[in-house]
Amino acid sequence: MQKTYSQPTSRREALGSTLRRAWDSDLAWSFRHSPMAILASFTTLVFFLLALFAPWIAPQNAFDPGAIRLEDGFLEPMERSSSTGMLYVLGTDSQGRDILSAILYGSRISLLVGFASVGFSMVLGVTLGLIAGFVGGRTDALIMRIADIQLSFPAILIALLVFGIGRGLIPPSQHEQMAIIVLIIAIGLSHWAQYARTVRGSTMVEKGKEYVQAARVMGRSSLAIMREHVLPNVIGPVLVIATINLALAIIEEATLSFLGVGVPPTQPSLGTLIRVGQQFLFSGEWWILLFPSLALIILALAVNLFGDWLRDALNPRLK
Amino acid sequence: MSPAPLVEVDRLWRVFDVSGPWLNRVLERRPRLFLTAVADVSFAIGRRETFALVGESGSGKSTIAKIIVGLLPPSEGDVRIDGISMSSPEARKKRADLRRRIQMIFQDPYASLNPRWRVDRIIAEPLRAFGLMRDRKDIEGRVAELLELVGLDPSDGHKYPHEFSGGQRQRIAIARALAANPEFIVCDEPTSALDVSVQAQILNLMRDLQDQLGLTYLFISHNLAVVRHMATRIGVLYLGRLVEVAPSRELFSNPRHPYTRMLLDAVPDLEMTGRVRRPVEGEIPNPINPPKGCGFHPRCPYQNERCRRETPILSDENGRLVACHGVAEARI
Amino acid sequence: MRIPVLSVRNLYVAFATRRADLVALEDVSFDIAEGEILGVVGESGAGKSVTGAAVIGLIEPPGRITGGEIRLKGERIDNLPLSAMRKIRGKRIGMVFQDPLTSLNPLFRIGDQIVETMMVHLDLSAAEARRRAIELLGEVGIPAPEQRIDAFPHELSGGMRQRVVLAMVLCTNPELIIADEPTTALDVSVQAQIIALLKRLAKSHGTSVMLITHDMGVIAETADRVAVMYAGRIVEIGPVREVLKNPRHPYTQGLMGSIPTLTSDAERLVQIPGSMPRLNARPPGCAFNPRCALAIDRCLCERPPLVGDDRAKVACWLVEAEEGAEQRGEVLS
Repeated sequence: MQKTYSQPTSRREALGSTLRRAWDSDLAWSFRHSPMAILASFTTLVFFLLALFAPWIAPQNAFDPGAIRLEDGFLEPMERSSSTGMLYVLGTDSQGRDILSAILYGSRISLLVGFASVGFSMVLGVTLGLIAGFVGGRTDALIMRIADIQLSFPAILIALLVFGIGRGLIPPSQHEQMAIIVLIIAIGLSHWAQYARTVRGSTMVEKGKEYVQAARVMGRSSLAIMREHVLPNVIGPVLVIATINLALAIIEEATLSFLGVGVPPTQPSLGTLIRVGQQFLFSGEWWILLFPSLALIILALAVNLFGDWLRDALNPRLK
Repeated sequence: MSPAPLVEVDRLWRVFDVSGPWLNRVLERRPRLFLTAVADVSFAIGRRETFALVGESGSGKSTIAKIIVGLLPPSEGDVRIDGISMSSPEARKKRADLRRRIQMIFQDPYASLNPRWRVDRIIAEPLRAFGLMRDRKDIEGRVAELLELVGLDPSDGHKYPHEFSGGQRQRIAIARALAANPEFIVCDEPTSALDVSVQAQILNLMRDLQDQLGLTYLFISHNLAVVRHMATRIGVLYLGRLVEVAPSRELFSNPRHPYTRMLLDAVPDLEMTGRVRRPVEGEIPNPINPPKGCGFHPRCPYQNERCRRETPILSDENGRLVACHGVAEARI
Repeated sequence: MRIPVLSVRNLYVAFATRRADLVALEDVSFDIAEGEILGVVGESGAGKSVTGAAVIGLIEPPGRITGGEIRLKGERIDNLPLSAMRKIRGKRIGMVFQDPLTSLNPLFRIGDQIVETMMVHLDLSAAEARRRAIELLGEVGIPAPEQRIDAFPHELSGGMRQRVVLAMVLCTNPELIIADEPTTALDVSVQAQIIALLKRLAKSHGTSVMLITHDMGVIAETADRVAVMYAGRIVEIGPVREVLKNPRHPYTQGLMGSIPTLTSDAERLVQIPGSMPRLNARPPGCAFNPRCALAIDRCLCERPPLVGDDRAKVACWLVEAEEGAEQRGEVLS
């Protein structure tokens, strides 16, 4: 006999109802009613898009030494090139590099390093936190003591240390290519402990819940339970930390580049631009420092405000 | 002649180490602390029977349930399913099949379903875990069948647990437990988180399923009225030990152990019959530091010097299994 | 007629959400006479705890009282300023919660907490207050109260803590005690002791009690009268024996039949289909109509009012129809 069992919704309908439900959710409602969140996420998005499409938007390829005209050096904002007639909206630096283009390309590096290092520390921290919380005992003690040690040093110090070690291990000929990867790992390693702690705590709570016991009664392996059951239930707070850490990572990258240990000068990030710019502050070429600094501040602030809103919206009790 | 029981619990012990962390213990000069949650517990459950364990907090009833389903190893003793010892090398080979035959229903339907999983995935988990079905269509059909079996709509499979009430969630949990066609289901306080009108629905459903599918239940509860309604035989636990085991009717009409009597007298008299009851005295002692001799002696009106000194063991007294010196000496 | 200790009239409580005001309590009216224990029983979501919180002025925003009035000994208390209400809360109305640790500060000795309460609300010297505290602790059944008075809450068992809470509530001689699930967290044997104690204390001190619980057994043991709540309304109220033995509302009937007892031998329990509607999905008409086997057309569209004499009231169109028929002398076939 045919079972009277109908597939109630097609895939498209299911997607539609999911979207409707998402729009109707408390989180979306809170977003629509928070001008701050809208502004912050809009700013971040604009930055992200500008950086992503920099090669098509920027007037000049800031990474291409061939595109730069030395005779256009130190032009003030809104001045035109004497040779090509090109308009430098935000002025140029000592070598005639267009500041606007440099900022667009620099944001690219900053965001790349930011996202990648946050992703790296998130994967590392979440994995270690899950294992510590789920396995417990000595494994837990070992991982969490390492996290404690890590947290007792300033993140920037850890990043400097890792960066130094990384450079020492890599042959000098490859420094240029590897610099960004080393930077990502350095910044990522300085932030994993926070994820690990948060995830460990929630994992210990989830581990005691009956749905985990039910999976154990079915003989599911610890790995499967961690991945399929616990992980989806502990990831919420992690995303909040990740958003706030994105701002931190961008600033950390800028700090390292400002100190001259970050990205190579041929691929300047916002931090590199600020380092270069501060040399000219007292000689009157203020725009070389001001605009990259503003860009960094606005980007970091927007990401941070978005993260703050996200934290409050997901955790009404913290308000 | 009775057929071989499906489940045999043989002299089960479980001791927990509840001492603080090593460093704190050394620094604060505290000794190690042990909690005996289950002490020398033996019972057998026949096929299609509902055996109930009742007891108050600290009686070890949930620990026994966890040991039987394999969530905890016993410190000593053995659990045999269909004659196969769970700790034997033979069982190791058949572990997956043994696990399939034993399932569990938990107390809190809000915690026993993964909130991030859709209901159809939750119910299908045992099918996938035991490798019973691979084809997506087969699984879908089986899930729909299970949902109908527990009184839900097949289309409910597309929803998430938070869209259901407590009673409906417990139905989903029952459907999951039944997915792999188990013979034996351990029910750990399956209705104590539910409202009474919903409790009645779930208890009726569990009975219907037992008749329909020939299930065997281990039913754990602190609620004597519920236990009386569900169980064929009942074991009363106090501080980790079985103090009395009897068929349901006999236990309620003629309780032998003083603790069983006290427990029955403590149940509120809903029918307001005005039956004469002895007021309850004292509280359950700390299980980390239980009284010597019979665990119940500080609260027992019949206790004497032997009760304070010697732990009574469960033994047959005129056809009734009781662990009480008073009953053995015919004082009570 | 004497003024009731507590009189609640047409009480409405709503919780504001971003979508709509969700009505948690709807037209709730009841009295508690002096020395009377009123049991308020219902399943989760029925509104019994909200009723208790409304009486004591502890409804947390976004919830608020949207209508009706609450009188303590004839004096309106639902619109009092916070400070005046706080005084009433400590002195004239006592509160017992499910978890005794809600009322006990873990950092202070239990005796100090009782003495402090007495000195704030009563004109007593410290020595006198301490003497009274020891007396009270003895009265609530704490063994060796002279020593235990200096214990910290964590040094006592759950049952003992609840006894201490009772002593603390009684120390100001309140007119009314609101006990919200006072025995739910306790074991059966301890529950029996606390119920007996509460009953004895209410009698000896002449205190009225509003006992909120989901457990009909506790009501049967303790209460003089019982109010049965469903979906934010009282559906039946009356003397406990009458309501429990001879329930008139179909919900109360179903509820009583669904409870397994120590004496009945029914193979199956009476089953009310479905579950209590959520706050945002209460049906029009009688809120019980989707689960009611006897529902008539009128139940689907019109809310039945709570009607009857001073002793017993029911909110059900069927009961009303039946009684109207009886009054008109018609014979029901």
